[in-house]
Amino acid sequence: MAERYLILEDGSSYRGEGFGAEATTTGELIYNTNLTGYQEVVTNQIYHNQIIIFSQPSIGNTGISHDAYESILPTAKGMVVRDVTNFSVDRSRRLTLDTYLKQHNIPGISGIDTRHLIRKLRDAGPMNGSIVAVDDAHAFDQLHATVLTNRQVAAVATPKPYPNPGTGYNVVVIDFGLKNGLLRQLSERRCNVTVVPWDTTAENILNLDPDGVILSSGPGSPMDLPQSVLEMIQVVEERIPLFAIGLGHELFGLANGANVVPLDAEYHGSSHPIRRIITNDIVFASQGQGYAVEAKSINRERLITTYVDLINGTVQGLRHRDFPAFSVQFFPDGGPGPDDNRDLFDEFMEIMGSREG
Amino acid sequence: MSKVVVDAMAMQRALTRITYEIIERNKGVENVVILGIKTRGVYLAQRIANRLQQLENVVVPVGELDVTAYRDDISAEDRAKELSAGVISAESGFTIENKKVVLVDDVLYTGRTIRAAMSAVMDLGRPKSISLAVLVDRGHRELPIRADFVGKNIPSAQSERIKVSVSEIDGHDDVEIVHKSDRK
Repeated sequence: MAERYLILEDGSSYRGEGFGAEATTTGELIYNTNLTGYQEVVTNQIYHNQIIIFSQPSIGNTGISHDAYESILPTAKGMVVRDVTNFSVDRSRRLTLDTYLKQHNIPGISGIDTRHLIRKLRDAGPMNGSIVAVDDAHAFDQLHATVLTNRQVAAVATPKPYPNPGTGYNVVVIDFGLKNGLLRQLSERRCNVTVVPWDTTAENILNLDPDGVILSSGPGSPMDLPQSVLEMIQVVEERIPLFAIGLGHELFGLANGANVVPLDAEYHGSSHPIRRIITNDIVFASQGQGYAVEAKSINRERLITTYVDLINGTVQGLRHRDFPAFSVQFFPDGGPGPDDNRDLFDEFMEIMGSREG
Repeated sequence: MSKVVVDAMAMQRALTRITYEIIERNKGVENVVILGIKTRGVYLAQRIANRLQQLENVVVPVGELDVTAYRDDISAEDRAKELSAGVISAESGFTIENKKVVLVDDVLYTGRTIRAAMSAVMDLGRPKSISLAVLVDRGHRELPIRADFVGKNIPSAQSERIKVSVSEIDGHDDVEIVHKSDRK
């Protein structure tokens, strides 16, 4: 395979072998420490405009499965791995990670010393990088000149409403760049789901007469979204049971007076013990975040902290004091990673049910 | 024949949700006291109190209520005996005077137990309010009583029995429906 380079903003260059698409791309470099689930990771829309470095050294060895997509059109900017394996599990044995990435115009680069790279990023903080064919001065100029969009949600969220019909509770999902795992969990519970665009007004949401509303996860900073989103949340949370995930959780925090701050280093993995405060026990979860709700900014008259990450101390869950509205920073559906927290969806069903009587 | 209708996980979740609802409804836990109706209500009350303490860092007083003396089918003689044995057991300093009392029981059925519990509470003092949390509401009320916090509504036939198990005394947590004809 062709020789390719991963170049970094700090001037360093890593030589490797290309796989996937031959495209030249630029994105924010982040690393993911999950041991499994590269397919779920690369198709998760929170990685829009990001180049994902995998700490797990062997990637590609479980192929591409039809049940592990987290979106239809992935928008990550690249995969950086130690070793890539081309293995297929689909019926026709044609789809490998390499061919999949080619189909979606995402470049990969293998043979990279990912441990070295991750240590560097851990110390240096957020940095952009490019996957290129030649690491000359021109390539670095291009890298430095590239400004990544901050309109990530608009780029990945659905522009139009669509239904995912069921016969159970009527749930409106507000799409900020959802992962399919969310819809899977709702399907499993027979919910009658309407997915609406991220900028849908509170009035239009309430017109759908939902039993519950979910704010999905998504890419980027919650501060890049307009104030109108927070106002929508403030209207909805008072009236309808609300469950917010990831970016949705950060927005829920903002809408209730808390601050959201960027982390020194983004955290993407599932190895952090998380304390569930109400029962004082430990859960693990698939996590992916560049921002966190700032603990000291939380107005305790309004919000209760429900989960805390015991490694980096970040707030992982909130609950409103006055309304049945709650949120988690992590992915409760797993996909990839622990399914410890799937019963949060059952809890949401029960909250919707307890309001009926 | 019996059938598990609430498993251990679902029971934990129900108690968690009830806990949050108690905070929602009472605007916090200030002046809240919890009274568990014996036997299993006491353990459920304790679990709710533990959860409130985890969340709010406040010890919520818990009492145990024995409503036998206030049952509507008890003889005057037995009532006197039961009353002398004591109706409430709690740590010293426990009071319901002007408190928001949350009664906790495992199953809400005819409502007669709750009626008795309310009489017992009223004899102990004048609470600011009384609300009711139950793990299971199985219907068939004989008195105008409803619960404020319900873990699970289980519509049942009167020929069935709802059996709540708590790990503290039964070794496991669940709720089962048992057909009466199968009872030993």
